[in-house]
Amino acid sequence: MKHIVKIITLLMVIATVWVGLLQTSTIPRSHTWLLPIYCVVSLGCYGLLMVGVGLMQFPTCPQEALLLQQDIIEAKGYLKQKGIDVSVS
Amino acid sequence: MELADRAVGFILSLISVTIFTYYTFWVIILPFVDSNHFIHRYFLPQEYAILIPVSAGVALLCFISIFIGYVMLKSKKKKA
Repeated sequence: MKHIVKIITLLMVIATVWVGLLQTSTIPRSHTWLLPIYCVVSLGCYGLLMVGVGLMQFPTCPQEALLLQQDIIEAKGYLKQKGIDVSVS
Repeated sequence: MELADRAVGFILSLISVTIFTYYTFWVIILPFVDSNHFIHRYFLPQEYAILIPVSAGVALLCFISIFIGYVMLKSKKKKA
């Protein structure tokens, strides 16, 4: 309940700032009308950029992958010894 | 493989930067340029600057609600 109140207050603050900008016309009016849509589009773009950058910088740890494969083979052998079949079927 | 991941990430960031610069130009810089300038030929009329994001947002909302409704119906049918 508290979290959505916080979100709604934030939206109200942004709306009042926008209406205030409209009233005092510090920025030319045509720009002020387009400001919310521009903010939403730039926020979406920023999110996409962060996803792309994160994808590019993702670490792969090849040594850990090798160790993991060895662990898998060892576990498979152990379970097969105990009588449980873990082949891919 | 990491090369495919890197390529996808690079393409995504490239798309986002292109969209951002194009939209910034469209909304902020173009109204200050004279209407005789040649650059206006590369940009659609200004009404589309509002239409395209709004229609994309509405389409996204519709898609999400249809998906949620479909999943809810499928889970209810499986339980009954």
